[in-house]
Amino acid sequence: MPDWKRVVSTHLGLKTIHEEEVRELAAHLEENYEEHCSRGLTEATAFAETLQEFEDCDVLVKAIREKSREEVMNYRTRSLWIPAMITLLGASLSLMILQKTGFRPNLIWKGPIAVLFYVPWLASLPLVGAAGAYLAQRAHAPISRRMLVATSPALLLLIIMSIILPLDMIVDGFWWFRLVYFTVAVVNWVVVPGLALLLGVAPFLRRASQPIILNEA
Amino acid sequence: MTKRIRSQIARGSGELAILSLLAERPLYGFEIAKQIGERTGGALKFTLASLYPLLYDMEKRGWLEAHWQANDAGRDRRYYKLTIAGRRQLAPLRQEWRSFFHALDALAGVSHA
Repeated sequence: MPDWKRVVSTHLGLKTIHEEEVRELAAHLEENYEEHCSRGLTEATAFAETLQEFEDCDVLVKAIREKSREEVMNYRTRSLWIPAMITLLGASLSLMILQKTGFRPNLIWKGPIAVLFYVPWLASLPLVGAAGAYLAQRAHAPISRRMLVATSPALLLLIIMSIILPLDMIVDGFWWFRLVYFTVAVVNWVVVPGLALLLGVAPFLRRASQPIILNEA
Repeated sequence: MTKRIRSQIARGSGELAILSLLAERPLYGFEIAKQIGERTGGALKFTLASLYPLLYDMEKRGWLEAHWQANDAGRDRRYYKLTIAGRRQLAPLRQEWRSFFHALDALAGVSHA
């Protein structure tokens, strides 16, 4: 019996990313071949007859590629972008609500730079991180993606701060103290909140319960 | 008749054939092709290359949904099932084709040919 999956992949030039389609088309060819054999054709003739099914397959290849592309995009949206947006919204809302309700940041150290920690906000972040990780896990995201989703608010802040620092230096000139200030701000707004968000991922570090068919490679 | 019109007719008739078959029960690709061939006495014939682009497109438009299930022989097959949206498409599509054949009959007398 020919290896129909291999026949399909070779004839249509498909990769592992099209696994489901290859499996489906291989099953179709297999039954087609068996039917030819049951009509009394030799294996070689039945095989040649079955290959006729590939005639004018350009449209099919295009349809499969388009289908896979959309599935990958949908998967990425469900497992990364939507959970990350919700996590970001949750972190922003919790900070906003705490500020509106009168919670003030706690002064940890006061020297040339004041080090402030927003303790109630930091305490709320594991819940926010957990929500993001849960949504990503539900969409069968791998563990690394769940962690990325949960820490997305901290990562976004890091990106914004990394853009502001050089711009600031271009406008106001280089100043060592600015670098120190930047480092403290990174610890305050990226490292510590990031760790708090990561705490929420802990219950969602199990491997995906179902295998992910899609391979984004 | 241009190639474009020819392919649109083929596509339209394929959609109607698939929707009509799946309105009866869920089927997988090979069964769909086989039944269309048998029921039309071979007048309509689908190959792998012509059937699956249609199925994938109809699935994308939400007319069909697919799931893997073992067939009678115990082999896993991807079964297609009509959705509510697909079922809604069936009546207008049938009407469209009826009108098309009436028009063609009035013009060329195809039913008496």
